[in-house]
Amino acid sequence: MSKAAATFAEDRQRLELAALSAPAVIFTVAMIAFPVVYTVWLGLHSFSSTGKQSFVGLANYSRLLADAEFWHGLWVTIALYVLSLVLQLVLGVWLALVLFHAKRLPGIVRSLFISPFMMPPVVAGMMWLVILDPSLGAANYILQSLGLPPSEWLASPVWVIPTVALIDTWQWTPYVALIVLGGLQSLPPSVYEAAQIDGASAFKTFQRITLPLLLPTIVTATILRSVDLLRFFDIIYITTQGGPGNASNTLNIYGFRVGFEFFNIGYASALMLTLTAIVFGAVLAFNRLRGAVAW
Amino acid sequence: MKAKAFAARLALALVAAGNAASVACAADFDWKKFQGKTVTFLANNNPVAQALLAHKADFEKLTGITLKVDGYQEQQMRQRLVTVMNARSDEVDVFMSLPSREGPQFAAAGWYADLTPMTKGAVAGDYDYAGLSQALLKAGTFDGKLTSMPMNIEGPILYYRTDILKKCGVEPPATIKDIEPAAKKLKACDASITPFVSRGLKPAIAYTFSNMLHNIGGNYIANGKSNLCSAKGKEALETYSGLLRDYGPPGVVNYSFQQISALYRSGRAAMSFESSNELRTVMDGGERLKDTALVPFPAGDAGQVPTAIGWGLAVSAHSKQPEAAWYFVQWATSPEIQKRMALQGIAPPRSAVANDPAYRKWIEEEPVRKQWQAALDVLAAKGSSEVGYPIVANPESREFIGQAVQDLILKQKTVDQACADADKGLDALIAQK
Repeated sequence: MSKAAATFAEDRQRLELAALSAPAVIFTVAMIAFPVVYTVWLGLHSFSSTGKQSFVGLANYSRLLADAEFWHGLWVTIALYVLSLVLQLVLGVWLALVLFHAKRLPGIVRSLFISPFMMPPVVAGMMWLVILDPSLGAANYILQSLGLPPSEWLASPVWVIPTVALIDTWQWTPYVALIVLGGLQSLPPSVYEAAQIDGASAFKTFQRITLPLLLPTIVTATILRSVDLLRFFDIIYITTQGGPGNASNTLNIYGFRVGFEFFNIGYASALMLTLTAIVFGAVLAFNRLRGAVAW
Repeated sequence: MKAKAFAARLALALVAAGNAASVACAADFDWKKFQGKTVTFLANNNPVAQALLAHKADFEKLTGITLKVDGYQEQQMRQRLVTVMNARSDEVDVFMSLPSREGPQFAAAGWYADLTPMTKGAVAGDYDYAGLSQALLKAGTFDGKLTSMPMNIEGPILYYRTDILKKCGVEPPATIKDIEPAAKKLKACDASITPFVSRGLKPAIAYTFSNMLHNIGGNYIANGKSNLCSAKGKEALETYSGLLRDYGPPGVVNYSFQQISALYRSGRAAMSFESSNELRTVMDGGERLKDTALVPFPAGDAGQVPTAIGWGLAVSAHSKQPEAAWYFVQWATSPEIQKRMALQGIAPPRSAVANDPAYRKWIEEEPVRKQWQAALDVLAAKGSSEVGYPIVANPESREFIGQAVQDLILKQKTVDQACADADKGLDALIAQK
């Protein structure tokens, strides 16, 4: 076959592949692009309580800057994010180490360890709502049985964020542990053999070898959890609806209520796009970090 | 004299002609007219819809219409409705609506079909439109358009434990001012019992708080401005929040009807100010059947002005088959179906049904049911459907009311600060109108 004929055949094959995959590509782009473009369009309009709409340009975004509830929601979102993420990473790495070293752990115990994240968040929220009920719940019963004072848990403006963070940590720590466990199993044994020959203690081995080598995996887990945590919605909606007062009113909850309870779809869209930008920003930042810690 | 006699005969003739037309219309009525069609019903999965949908097969058999039920929890139902209506979609033909909450808003947005001509057109002979609660029909009428047909009547009432009150030597409160001393005595008598419980969850507070405000003699708006900082408004805020803070259960700021009914049913509350709809839930298991009494909320300076509302069935303005949709609405709000729902504990918005022998027999079976019906009679006679501000942005107004009450329960503000902050936000909402 001549060179020209070979090039023609290659081009033809490329075209055929492009034509075959085009419908799927167009469909996927449309499914992602349409909601985003539509939300941008909605964010440039104002909708009155009666549903009448008018073009307002960037007024929804300037309103957002002056909205104390937005800044409060941002603060709640970040507080919940940082607290939950730190707890889940620390406990997730610890749990992964336990599962990695406990080779004789029965399968049933391993399954139980990782089962919470398989539970739908709505079910988890309902379950914890009952457990943490200050009057009828098991949590206060246990505290009082141990001679400790009862807590108001989700009903306290001070404790509601730590409590929600604990519920989320209970549910998602096993997920982080599974990711980290995968990372642990892929670490090269030769490095550990060398450390053993050099007489490194278990702590030093963890500090100088395991943790640095695990960092890319931990950053991956951080990215995955960041996307979920910054968009925190379901458990709060089930347990507190943003209360008491506005103490757990995250940006996502606030945007939902503005849109679907007060029918101001334009302002809600501006809020949601801002939240999306924050999530994107966090993902980009952690992606760069992942590049920096790769080995 | 002759002229008078002629006018009288003419009037008589016109009335007779009207009646004849009406009878002819009823006689022509054919339940099978829309056989083969499908009507989509967006329902709230509450006891009212559950009682109605227990008879779904009868509707389909009677009319030949297929009823497609799209059921959600209350807030999710509204979320779906907002999406459908904003898209001007005809996916929903009939939906459940609370006129006291979203009525002005949905009516101004043009989401309701006008039912007035339907009630005068294709109506079955036994429908008895005039027998429906006129107060509820009025509450569902906006700018002269009838937007929904009442499914039930409900309102907050006081449930109390006769055995605990007797044990502690407490008389049932006759006025609002009696509640606090009664609660205090109950707290001293038995520390394991919650003396008083009502709604503390922010969006849910307006339902019970409005009853207290109106009984005390307050009102939400005066001279076009929010009126929470009036003397009566502040009294209502302080009384309501004080009862929940000092005598309510821990964590009351997250309490809505589910938690309240669970607490009362478990025997851990002495007085519960909650919806009449919760009777079935509270009596479930029968433990509270013999030790509970029910009354309308005690009177204040303005007497008893109970909150009386009802779910309504509305036809979507975007429905492509409003006549078939009306057949479902008509069937669902007919005397026969409302009688069947009443026997399932759904208070009927028709006095004729309330007096029906089968229903009366059911009521007479238990003293608590008799008291329930007596309380509902007071609601029907004296009730106000004002829950939150009577403005287009009513749902948002409830947020401000709830926030003010929660601020006081949690001692985060003084009553002057709480009402002033609420009035500021509410004035802006009123101005939107």
